[in-house]
Amino acid sequence: MSTLHTRFRNSRTRFRSREGGLQPARGLSLAPSCGTKVPRGLKPALVLLSAALLLGQSGRSVWDGVYTTEQATRGSALYSSRCASCHGTVLTGGESAPPLAGGEFLSNWYGLTAGDLFDRIRISMPADRPGSLKRDEVADILAFVLSMNQFPAGKTDLERETEALKQIRIEPRPEQK
Amino acid sequence: MHSKRSSLAIAAGMAALAAAAWAQQPSTKNGEWPYYTADLKGSKYSPLDQINAQNFSKLEVAWRYKTDNLGPRPEYKLEGTPLMVKGVLYTTGGTRRSVVALDPKTGEVNWVYSLREGNRAAIAPRQLSGRGVSYWTDGKGDDRVVFVTTGYRLISLNAHTGQPIPSFGKNGIVDLKEGMVTGTGQQIDLETGEAGLHATPLVVKDVIIVGSSFKEGMTVVTHSNTKGLVRAYDAHTGKLLWTFNTIPRPGEFGNDTWENGSWATNGNTGVWTQMTVDEDLGLVYLPVESPTSDFYGGHRPGDNLFGESLVCVDLKTGKRKWHYQVVHHPIWDYDLSSAPILADINVGGRLIKAVALPSKESFLYVFDRVTGQPVWPIEERPVPQSDVPGEKTSPTQPFPTKPPAYGRQFLKIPDDLIDFTPEMRAQAKDSVARYRTGPMFLPPSVGDDKIIGSLTLGTASGGTNWPGAGYDPETHIVYAEANQSALFPISMRTPPEGFSDIRYVMGRNGTDFRVSEGPGFGTAADAPQAQRRPVAAPAAPAAPAGRGGGGGGGGGALTVQGLSLVKPPYAVISAINLDRGDLQWQVPYGETPDVVRNHPALKGLNITNTGQAGSVGLVVTKTLVILGDSQITSVTHPRGAMLRAYDKATGKEVGAKLMPAPQSGSPMTYMVDGKQYIVIAVSGGAYSGEYIAYALPE
Repeated sequence: MSTLHTRFRNSRTRFRSREGGLQPARGLSLAPSCGTKVPRGLKPALVLLSAALLLGQSGRSVWDGVYTTEQATRGSALYSSRCASCHGTVLTGGESAPPLAGGEFLSNWYGLTAGDLFDRIRISMPADRPGSLKRDEVADILAFVLSMNQFPAGKTDLERETEALKQIRIEPRPEQK
Repeated sequence: MHSKRSSLAIAAGMAALAAAAWAQQPSTKNGEWPYYTADLKGSKYSPLDQINAQNFSKLEVAWRYKTDNLGPRPEYKLEGTPLMVKGVLYTTGGTRRSVVALDPKTGEVNWVYSLREGNRAAIAPRQLSGRGVSYWTDGKGDDRVVFVTTGYRLISLNAHTGQPIPSFGKNGIVDLKEGMVTGTGQQIDLETGEAGLHATPLVVKDVIIVGSSFKEGMTVVTHSNTKGLVRAYDAHTGKLLWTFNTIPRPGEFGNDTWENGSWATNGNTGVWTQMTVDEDLGLVYLPVESPTSDFYGGHRPGDNLFGESLVCVDLKTGKRKWHYQVVHHPIWDYDLSSAPILADINVGGRLIKAVALPSKESFLYVFDRVTGQPVWPIEERPVPQSDVPGEKTSPTQPFPTKPPAYGRQFLKIPDDLIDFTPEMRAQAKDSVARYRTGPMFLPPSVGDDKIIGSLTLGTASGGTNWPGAGYDPETHIVYAEANQSALFPISMRTPPEGFSDIRYVMGRNGTDFRVSEGPGFGTAADAPQAQRRPVAAPAAPAAPAGRGGGGGGGGGALTVQGLSLVKPPYAVISAINLDRGDLQWQVPYGETPDVVRNHPALKGLNITNTGQAGSVGLVVTKTLVILGDSQITSVTHPRGAMLRAYDKATGKEVGAKLMPAPQSGSPMTYMVDGKQYIVIAVSGGAYSGEYIAYALPE
């Protein structure tokens, strides 16, 4: 059993590779995980692949104006009628639903993409009628959620295709350049 | 570890199982985990010590069990704690609340059972997969798994085959809605009547004890909804043995605490969390929740027994032995959330059979469990009074003098406000200025365009919630995690015309009216494919950007630059010594969230561990307290949530293991074939429900 030991920055803990700790949920995908078992000979190839993926993803993040104000306004109306009863009028969540704005929300989505969040909504929301929102509507609601988290608006609407949205990273504010 | 000799021993043991097992009841002493709370005393304690401080970080995934296909859709809120009895692991999972029996070494499915309940489950007040199952054995090979369905049916299954027991109830099923009433005794509709349960039944000797729960009480349509009760059934036949009315009827003790005959026109007051029992004394401990509605008691003047009371009843008869009401005339949603812990303690040389009740209030209420007398004095102290029309608050509330509170109980201004920078504190002060603030038991207030409402902390989602706490019977220490950043604005409004018979519901006058649904409402397998009930007021678009988080009543940002308005630690883990009634140690729970670590305004500041918000369950072993993070982090390790081990004696973190998603259920541990496992339910965000078993490498 070959076990790949890696020490991560500032880490108090040593991670083993064997268990594939970041297995994606069904139908969803995550960034390439550090936990996957890698045959020794493939290591250089993986490094290259990861670099390629990172480059491919480095195009956009939620800080790059990925939705429009008009879209967020459309999303706001949909949110009020389809989401607010559980997640709160200003996205603070309720006893049974998590907040959709603020630190707790962002902590759980940093490192994932707008596509992951889009699919989570599309597949399982709203809770009383999952799957009933059209892709356009999900995109509008997502634009509203992004706006409420103070990510900037831009000139083009958020896409409605999961694959395109997976190119948009959810991440903390980048360093000011 | 796995030697030939131990294999032989196990083979021999299995051969003798049928004949000999009855002599030995399932127990953590055998490496089993036979109850949701490990044992009937609510300890969550296992004496196993193969996994310890030295090797915890070497844990590996032994197996995983994804629950997606146990229903038509994945579940993102998996809350079960499995049992492990006689070499089989039993739990619930999925949007249909299926029961599964798994191989505890590999996770391989042994059997699956589910009941298709259609609309009855789809409209149930407690949905999704619940907290797990219970186990009953006659000791002679009749072994059963008992659970409550989404649609509130009690089912007894053959533990070996997963098939319903024909001689139990009707073909294995007891309809728990039979006998549930509203008003003065009107039977609820079996299909559409309101009743459900997440907790596992309490199985003791030949008795199954079942609680009850209802829709969220924030914006309910009537104060006269289903009445809570606790019932006991014969474990062999499903025959009803006794009923305890948590809202006492005329002639029953406590009925006069519902003034103006209001017992007849109010509901709720169920028991929705785990109960515990002292088998030797024959006493059962019931943690009772709030009456309808959560935040307005104007339709039920009086103390409202047994709302928010710990009630001790006789195991054989269900008759009340004693009770203690920890909140009089409940209007803060302080529902008794946690399994009462039975602890045999030594206070200044006096041996006391005690019961310790963890709470959302972050008080640990400790009583003599035979007499109900507080072990340390509990004082009635004056509290602020309500000015909501029709509300009559209790002039005093109980305050334990010992042990001290193990979490924040109210928002102290300015001391508890965010203080990373002076600017942030100033912003926080501005934000709270639009709220009423004050000490513990600050009553709800009417929200309008000037005052948003009462800003409470440590109420509905404070302190210790449904996962409860743990207890070491050797050292007499309770271990409890407490959320202490749960700001909860309580704002009342008059409901729109025709919505409710309650004068005040949650909300704010002059804003859109929102209905607050129950936990996971509408997420069951056969959830209706149409809007259930129209929202009374037309929905106007909220303003898009520029507003921070707000409260239940809307408006009034409760975050500062995306951070919690409350200063850290956001949650804490405490060791509470029950012999001395003091805190042995207290440490932040989890690690600093990414939003704090990555915040541009905090660059260069030295910020010690803030902990993270959340209310989670834990396991206590010989040397460790084990619990997982409630949030994903990625700064000091790959993206994920950590399962952590804390030294029981000091609270020092001694090991951590990366999980793919936050802990969403309470962990458990067991040993099979000489190997110790820890199983935990994880889910949340983009990650659907999964049980993960960890063990040490070969």
